[in-house]
Amino acid sequence: MVDIVFGIGITALTGALATIAGAAEDTESNIGSQGDPNSQVQLAPQMGFMHRIFNKAVAGEPPAYGLWCALGAGLAWAFMAMYPNPVLAIVLGSVLAVIVQGVYATTAYLGRTASLAKFGQPVYVDILKSMTTVTMAHAFIAIFGTVALCQLINGALEHPFPLPLLGLIWGVTLGAAGSATGNPYYGKERQYQNQKFGAGVPISASGNIVRYAEAGERNSLDNGWFTAKIGGAASGLCFGLIVFLELWRTILFEKSFDGWGAVIVGILVILIFTIIDRYIEVWARKNYGPYSEIKEASS
Amino acid sequence: MSAVAAKPQAGGAINPGAMAVGIVLLIILLGIAYVVSPGIGLMALIGVIIGGVLIGFGVHFVPVGGAPAAMGQAPGIATGVAMLAAGAGLAGLFGGAWAAEQGLEMAVVTGAIGGGMMMAITCMMVNFVYVFGMGIPAASGKVAKDPITGDTQAEYKSQGTEGHGLPFVSFVGGVIGGILGGAGGTLIYIELLELYKTTLPGVMKVTSAQAEPIAVSVAGIFAIALFLVNAVLTAYNITGTIEGPHDPKFKRWPRAIVASAVASALCGLVAILIVVM
Repeated sequence: MVDIVFGIGITALTGALATIAGAAEDTESNIGSQGDPNSQVQLAPQMGFMHRIFNKAVAGEPPAYGLWCALGAGLAWAFMAMYPNPVLAIVLGSVLAVIVQGVYATTAYLGRTASLAKFGQPVYVDILKSMTTVTMAHAFIAIFGTVALCQLINGALEHPFPLPLLGLIWGVTLGAAGSATGNPYYGKERQYQNQKFGAGVPISASGNIVRYAEAGERNSLDNGWFTAKIGGAASGLCFGLIVFLELWRTILFEKSFDGWGAVIVGILVILIFTIIDRYIEVWARKNYGPYSEIKEASS
Repeated sequence: MSAVAAKPQAGGAINPGAMAVGIVLLIILLGIAYVVSPGIGLMALIGVIIGGVLIGFGVHFVPVGGAPAAMGQAPGIATGVAMLAAGAGLAGLFGGAWAAEQGLEMAVVTGAIGGGMMMAITCMMVNFVYVFGMGIPAASGKVAKDPITGDTQAEYKSQGTEGHGLPFVSFVGGVIGGILGGAGGTLIYIELLELYKTTLPGVMKVTSAQAEPIAVSVAGIFAIALFLVNAVLTAYNITGTIEGPHDPKFKRWPRAIVASAVASALCGLVAILIVVM
């Protein structure tokens, strides 16, 4: 078993890498418009609202990132077998995985947008040129962070799974955490900025996404800029907490209580997050109040 | 009755004939395993089936709102059923695999807690974003009162929506789903790992030490694959979105249990046949 201080240091580093990866993943998926909110980007032209938003729902974020991180980790693993330089291997693996992501993004945008031709939605070549590279840059950060933390888990913390398998596992988890946390903020708060704050989007408003910016038409870079402030940060925090706490409880408490220490600490962590969640729920009910109070008073 | 005319059935819709066919198939697959490998192979298959059933049952607890949740139009987590469950279960599998050396019970419980932790953090962050990022309180669209806290729900639903965020019962459902998924995935991994550790040295004519990394990798790949099979299968049973254990769709779980058992048995048999034939 690795030295405990060394283990804590690696745990902190992996937590930091996961936080950066989570934030980059959500921002990438928002600039590329991947995940559930993209249903509105696809729907808008069908409702008569043409737009200049990128449209690349390659797949759900978890399988997409599972693929890209497994690819990056697999290639890095192969490079490490040839040359003993992990940093260079991870960079090269991530670059090659990002090229695949770029190919998927390009074909997804062209294919999905071309399918809307009958509704009059044009394919904007300038959007393709300017957005694709930005999503690729963010995807590189997300993939590099995830592959690097997998290498630390495998190489330094001696997890039994090989690097590509860890890449798949943490890639899927990265996508799950990023889409769960970040999607509502992009889907409701940014795409439907024209709707009331503090309420869900009425189903009747579906497809009427905001298409104009302060100057000119809104594009996906504006969306990335907006969502990075809360959705991206929250996604990073979510994935960072998952990775950090999973490793932390194992490294520090694996030997305690006849091996049950990590389990007990895990249960305590779940209880703490349950209490925090309940506090948030009650706080919202008290401070925001019910929606139907006014209606009840007038009736 | 045409598909258009048929009314959607949220709850029951259990087909006894199909269930019986599924159970017969399950017995046939177990019989094949008994014939080809009556000892360790059969035990591994039983473990895989139990693990698959745990995953299939667990996915029903996970509150998933899909695309409508991303616009605050429906409660739940704004992603796909199968993918969120896979994320939680694989996080659990990661922890369980690490504890594999400490025995089956320890590994399965560690995996379960890992899955539960992932879901607890994710569900809390979902409500964090809804409340502090978007100013929207949690409200269920399926029940008048939260079955755990007793909080009324209808007046906290904003106009024109079916609810939003994660009411407490959905949070608890998510954690239970993560726990069951993590336990199921880890159980599958441990059972297959034991099988491969025992059989691979003979099959490949290598030492146990040489076979171990291969056993770990192949068992890990099969565990992930079986997880995805069961999660996707259950997603079809749920048909889109589910709020958690209080959702009427939750009552569909019996048919998912049978389907998961048959699918896990078939996939598990393939995983066994590659080393025992």
